Amino acid sequence: MLQIQNLSFRYHHHAQPVLKGIDIELQDGEIGILLGKNGSGKTTLFKSILGISSASKDASVRFDGEDLLKMSRKERAKRIAYVPQDIQFGGLNVFDSILMGRISYFGCKAGRHDLEVVEQLIKDMQLESYATRSVNELSGGERQKIAIARALAQEPRLLIFDEPTGNLDIANEQLIIREAKRLAHDKNISILCSLHDLNQAFCFGDKFFFLKDGHIRYHGGKECINEEVIQEIFDIHVRIVEIEHQKIMIGGTPI
Amino acid sequence: MELLESYRREHKRKRIIVILLFSAMVLMSIVCLFVGSSHMSVSDCTAALMRKGVPTNIRIIWNIRIPRVLAAIIAGAGLSLSGLIMQTTLNNIMASPSTLGVSNAAVFGANLSIIVFAGGFLSTGNNLSNYMIGVNPYAAGMVAFVFSTTSILLILGLCKTRSFTPNVVVLAGVALGSVWTAATTILQFYATDVGLSAAVIWSFGDLGRATYRTDAIMFVAVGLGYLFFMLMSWKYNVLLTGEPTAKSIGIHVDRLRFLSLLLASVITAVCVSFLGIIGFVGIICPHVTKKLLGQDHRHTIHASAICGSLLLLLADTLSRSMGNGSALPVGAITSLLGAPFFIALIFSKEERR
Repeated sequence: MLQIQNLSFRYHHHAQPVLKGIDIELQDGEIGILLGKNGSGKTTLFKSILGISSASKDASVRFDGEDLLKMSRKERAKRIAYVPQDIQFGGLNVFDSILMGRISYFGCKAGRHDLEVVEQLIKDMQLESYATRSVNELSGGERQKIAIARALAQEPRLLIFDEPTGNLDIANEQLIIREAKRLAHDKNISILCSLHDLNQAFCFGDKFFFLKDGHIRYHGGKECINEEVIQEIFDIHVRIVEIEHQKIMIGGTPI
Repeated sequence: MELLESYRREHKRKRIIVILLFSAMVLMSIVCLFVGSSHMSVSDCTAALMRKGVPTNIRIIWNIRIPRVLAAIIAGAGLSLSGLIMQTTLNNIMASPSTLGVSNAAVFGANLSIIVFAGGFLSTGNNLSNYMIGVNPYAAGMVAFVFSTTSILLILGLCKTRSFTPNVVVLAGVALGSVWTAATTILQFYATDVGLSAAVIWSFGDLGRATYRTDAIMFVAVGLGYLFFMLMSWKYNVLLTGEPTAKSIGIHVDRLRFLSLLLASVITAVCVSFLGIIGFVGIICPHVTKKLLGQDHRHTIHASAICGSLLLLLADTLSRSMGNGSALPVGAITSLLGAPFFIALIFSKEERR
């Protein structure tokens, strides 16, 4: 179980914190969605959880009791993996780009087990047809899949996705979301994810966290989504209807 | 299993290219050994190599050509490696061994030694007659080394305490480099004609200054760097994916940057201090290698080193056969030779990142 407690973050020269006392809880295999406007601090929150940016001293990010923020970077990488918004790969081939995710296990030279893990991942995610091609030659959807495979090679318990469907077409978008859902379910990995498309978020997530002005204003399951919440967080008028037990948002006129 | 097979095949292919490059380098060093201004025949050279035949020839081979060839191999490898690591760690394709202003500092140090203390004046060892009688052949090199190390520590210390983002490091390096250059200009303004010409001649890269001792010192620096870079090759690959990803995968990005820049700069400092400025090897060779083998540092580190040796051997062989008795400055030849090739390479195919 993931427990984030009292996480605050402030940039060096600024008096005002960007994040103030964030608390988040996620069960194993649960998908949590972080929602909020641009600049509300979603990426900053992710980076603080990952230890890329340093959170306030009294913050804790616990996974099954262990405090991830007090771990070495290497040990942390075996527990949390990150798929950032703008993915880069350098110029390696697909196989090596995924193998890279295992560096915290092998250090200098990949062993047989590492190669086997990657081979299995490539088979699971059906990447065989371009396994030895350079990642730079691939399409956006394929690259996204490889980024996910690289994150999975870390054998994490928690996966953090920053806008995973940002520049994908609808087919790839669905593919990535379904893949992520399957992973959370099959491998019992918790997922924390930010999404801009609210309808997508409603169908993807188990838990929702609404971020505004550095606070989590609302959180809860699907039941906590309603027109007032969306209006307050995003400053727009919307209508939410339910079709086949699925909440769908319509419209969006600025207040 | 099929997948792993094809993956391994791919790497084997690249290893073969590296081995071919290495063979070319060995071949070139033999050629380099046999070519020179003293018009020795192949059989003279072979005899001298086995310490037989005319004593002068033996001296030429063992005291001049072998240290020179070794210097070309070691310094070429060092400068090229240093360039590759600079480019990777600073995430900048224009980075070179002297991005941190190391060469400028070395030039200032040597100028100071030559112009103010008249040290190392006779050490420009192109010609055999004053080969042995240099006042102190190491003086200029030593002072150059002291200054370039100071420069490295200054800049890395500053960046470490302030900001360690690649662009800041590059800009700070350029700025500090220009300070050294300005100081050099002022020194040269007050120099005597003799001092000035000696200082200028020092800054021409010249492999003829190499002795077994300088080779050994360079070998230690380059060897240690090589070993470190080799062990870190996976980490450099990860660094190419950008800082956030690299950190989330478990790399201490700042620590890796610091150590890499330090080692790369020390290699440059040692080579430049002993041999003078040898430009462009550190930019051309890593790029040629990347075109040939891609970005994987498990291959490019070896290949860059070999490519650097190869280019410097080639340049040195040409400089000695073109100079009509005395060798042309090898630093100029590497650029003359490399730059057009490099330009052709850049425009041959747009590089994608």
